[in-house]
Amino acid sequence: MSKIAAWFEERLGISAVVRFGAQKQVPLHKHTIWSYTGSAILVFFGIQVATGILLAFYYRPTLEAANASLERIMTEISFGWIVRSIHSWSATFMIITVFVHLVSVALTKAYRKPRELTWMTGALLLAVSLFFGFTGYLLPWDELSLAATKVGTDIPKAVPVVGEWATKFLRGGDDVTGDTLSRFFILHVTVLPLVLLLLLAVHVYLIQKLGMSLPLESEIRGEKAPGMSFWPNFVAREAAVWLVLLGLLITVAVLFAPSLGPPADLMAPAPEGVKPEWYFLFLFQTLKLFPAKVGFVSGETIAVLLIGLGALALFLLPLIDNRPETRKGKIVAAAFLAFLAYALGMSVWSLL
Amino acid sequence: MKILYSLFSRRRFLNGLLAGLGTAFAGTFVGPVVRFVTPPYREPDEVKLPLAGYKDMAPGEVRSFPWGIKPGFLKRRDDGSFLGFVGVCTHLDCNVAYKADQKKFFCACHDGWYDEDGRNIQGPPPTPLRRLTAVLEGEELVVRKSEA
Ligand code: HEM
Ligand code: FES
Repeated sequence: MSKIAAWFEERLGISAVVRFGAQKQVPLHKHTIWSYTGSAILVFFGIQVATGILLAFYYRPTLEAANASLERIMTEISFGWIVRSIHSWSATFMIITVFVHLVSVALTKAYRKPRELTWMTGALLLAVSLFFGFTGYLLPWDELSLAATKVGTDIPKAVPVVGEWATKFLRGGDDVTGDTLSRFFILHVTVLPLVLLLLLAVHVYLIQKLGMSLPLESEIRGEKAPGMSFWPNFVAREAAVWLVLLGLLITVAVLFAPSLGPPADLMAPAPEGVKPEWYFLFLFQTLKLFPAKVGFVSGETIAVLLIGLGALALFLLPLIDNRPETRKGKIVAAAFLAFLAYALGMSVWSLL
Repeated sequence: MKILYSLFSRRRFLNGLLAGLGTAFAGTFVGPVVRFVTPPYREPDEVKLPLAGYKDMAPGEVRSFPWGIKPGFLKRRDDGSFLGFVGVCTHLDCNVAYKADQKKFFCACHDGWYDEDGRNIQGPPPTPLRRLTAVLEGEELVVRKSEA
């Protein structure tokens, strides 16, 4: 046995990685708990990959067959309903943990120099996760998913210059059709996973290279926090969190399996009570509230430009908040909280 | 004039040349790929409907018809002629429904309303429903895109 291990060790040199993990210190301080969010996202992503591959064994991405193939997964295939339910719920759990991760980094200002790029790759990972959800939502091809996709893919149109093309690109034409479905499927199952893994590689590399941040106050006071070895001590604690989350996920997935509406009909009017996935509700409500015209410009264009500006500000946050310990840093934090309150408020309102 | 030392090393020149050629080469693929991923427009120029299905409509009545792959609506005017609409919301592209009891078009996506002539009257829709012209040609009703 040890001979085989030695054979591999001689060629792979894994012990260097293990040594690195043992050497790496996770600082223990009042914000350490948020360090658990990152790996939780990875767990949910892993579950998405596994269940997604299983679903793809039976799923058929065509206009005629998509809805029926999911019905078959739900009713005929052994454990099909739970695989779909876990995929659907794990998407939600993944996006929740991405949000929590991002908010915790923002509020503890862990993005400050030299971790600006870590934040930016993280912001892109959020965008990719949302795009995963958006493309996945169409795949069941029922009434709701069609209406949500029509609206979602029409939104870029309001962007000056490139908007028209972006809408055409997303739809694979001027309208949502079977071509849109093929496109969303291939984005969902090949392009986005590859992009996500690439971004993740950079994100994780930066985290290893730069080490974990300390709370802002301790850094200013030049304090050192006590540390814990990453491997195996911290990983073992994280694993305990993963197990709890896994239990939670499976419980929710068993109790609340997602429904499947009647197949989408390109001719039918949009069903009443159309709503996107919960993470787009604040955008949905914003679009609903914007008047048709503000002065000469369409309300939609203004809404979309504002949303774009907000997204850009989020992406560039570490550069905007370049002196986090000063008054400016407090103002940025307040603005971030205000945005958070806005998004939450709008989401709740849209459900009333 | 002879420059005694090189401003630009051979290595840098060759690297630049290679990078430039490489970029240009890769660039030639961008156009075709961009065109490949955006297919041509598919809305019909005209749709022919058998008059039989619409002859019995009362003045003011609205009935749906397939405008290519989109829903369309025909309204019978008081003078007996027909007026067509593309049944797609001008806000964000959802299909609208005609509510006969209220004589209005309704879009469920963000609560948009249009009157029976397709004018946007409430909610986010920025413009009226797109109009189509419908003319009688023998036993067929031919619906075309409006010029204006
Ligand atoms: C390699 C990774 C993935 C593969 C192969 C995959 C595959 C699939 C397939 C085949 C479906 C259609 C079946 C269905 O609708 O339930 C689907 C749906 C969906 N996917 Fe994924 N997926 C992957 C990752 C993700 C990720 C990372 C997310 C979200 C963050 C996600 C979110 C969704 C959503 C929301 C649906 C619709 C669920 C429903 O309504 O049932 N997927 N996916
Ligand atoms: S799409 Fe019709 S009101 Fe928004």
